[in-house]
Amino acid sequence: MKSVQFNVTSRLDGDVAVIYPKGYLNNLSGESLVIECGIYIGKGITKIVVNFSETDLINSIGISMLLQIIEDLRNIKGTICCTNMSKFLRDTFEMLGLIKHMHVFPVESDALKYLKAGKA
Amino acid sequence: MSTELKKALFNISALADLGQAITSENAFHEKIQSVFYVITGTFLANRGAILSYDKSAKKLNTLLQKGFDSADLDRVQPDELMSLGKNEPCLIGTDPVLAVSGAEILVPLWVRDEFIGALLLSGKLTVGPYTLEDLELLNVIANQIAIALNNHSLFMDLAEKLEENRRLYEEMRHIYHGTLQAFAAAIDAKDAYTQNHSHRVAKYSAAIARELGWSEHDVEGIYVAGYLHDVGKLAISNDLLNKVTPFTPEERAEIRKHSTTSHNITSKIKFPWKSVEDMVWHHHERLDGRGYPDKLANESLSDGVRILSLADSFDAMTSQRPYRKKMDVPAAIAELKKCLESQFDNKIMLVFCKVLDKEIKGELPEPDILPHLDKTSDLSVISALLGGIIVELSTPKSGV
Repeated sequence: MKSVQFNVTSRLDGDVAVIYPKGYLNNLSGESLVIECGIYIGKGITKIVVNFSETDLINSIGISMLLQIIEDLRNIKGTICCTNMSKFLRDTFEMLGLIKHMHVFPVESDALKYLKAGKA
Repeated sequence: MSTELKKALFNISALADLGQAITSENAFHEKIQSVFYVITGTFLANRGAILSYDKSAKKLNTLLQKGFDSADLDRVQPDELMSLGKNEPCLIGTDPVLAVSGAEILVPLWVRDEFIGALLLSGKLTVGPYTLEDLELLNVIANQIAIALNNHSLFMDLAEKLEENRRLYEEMRHIYHGTLQAFAAAIDAKDAYTQNHSHRVAKYSAAIARELGWSEHDVEGIYVAGYLHDVGKLAISNDLLNKVTPFTPEERAEIRKHSTTSHNITSKIKFPWKSVEDMVWHHHERLDGRGYPDKLANESLSDGVRILSLADSFDAMTSQRPYRKKMDVPAAIAELKKCLESQFDNKIMLVFCKVLDKEIKGELPEPDILPHLDKTSDLSVISALLGGIIVELSTPKSGV
């Protein structure tokens, strides 16, 4: 399988930051995901959607990065929504019990609708 | 697939991640950062620390930590940890000795009988307790981290020893050169007219050899030969060396013994450079075989001998002697040129002219020849002279 260099893009939708990780979240380059979220949190954003449509796989290093984001948001009483997850990702998060610490939606638009409705 | 099986697969995958992190070609701090992420990600711990033991200071240093109070970590006493099981995770509980605020588990890291450091983890983000399987996995991970830390420590020790050896070698080299300079001063002190002659010949020879493309090691060798080429003069009486009137044939023969005496002295020394004693021995030989002591000619003379011979003659010509005045630099260069093929080598002369010309033009940051020449010399005249010789010696002879 051709490995894709991990990278992150993002956009702001109202008061929600939408983050798009791309590639295998398995090494130090995954720190860019934490940094990207940190930038929005630093600007006062408390709602973050991570769209995993281009990240099928994650390992223990990636889990650690995700833990950091969950904790950073928890410290500011923020909300993290994860969307477009592969079965592998969803199963892994479920098995580890992480799913209880995030809101999961099938697609990004559902998460945005939820956050904009002020239910978070 | 059952949750237990999925968890087991995740754990195996975490061990693979750990192996990859430890064996990667990354720098140590990146490796240890990856290892740290693997551990915190595997156990869902939002706080953690890796401490390494400094044997000489008998204290634990924090290699990496997240979420703990640094002062708490500084209070962890290595002696307390050494009494715990090797690489065995232990629940801190309410133990006041091991209390680090927020830490739930501690693993003393060992490789065989060597205490390496410690690993600390907080409770899990998911709040659940560390299971027996978690502790077993942590034990395996601790073994791997301990080995990685120990290897790094051994590597650093080795690097430190290497640096220490390099420093000692440089010191010895410095002392060695100091001794050589003292020897040269003793040689030159015998003859009031040849003060610093050995030093200058060493400098000139090294400059020519360097321009010729010799390695720095070989340049250092000819530099040493330059310092010692006249060491045999120590065996000649001061009266004879400083005689103002022309030498008798017997006296000349006595003087000429000095190169063989120089060889006899230097051949007792085991130099790290090749041919020092050969260069010293034959620095008065000539290409036409009319030199001394062995009347060697042409191919029998190494480049080193040819360089030393030219450097020695050039300095002798430009220095005052009891029996004659010193030549000015252009006259000395002209004299060298006149003696090409009979006494001096064309190639060495060409290189000598090139290096001196470069020094005059400021093209060499640390000139070796120019600072020793007569300060009243007209450098533009010398440069023009050198330029002409360079062109002449660089041009292939016609009719060959």
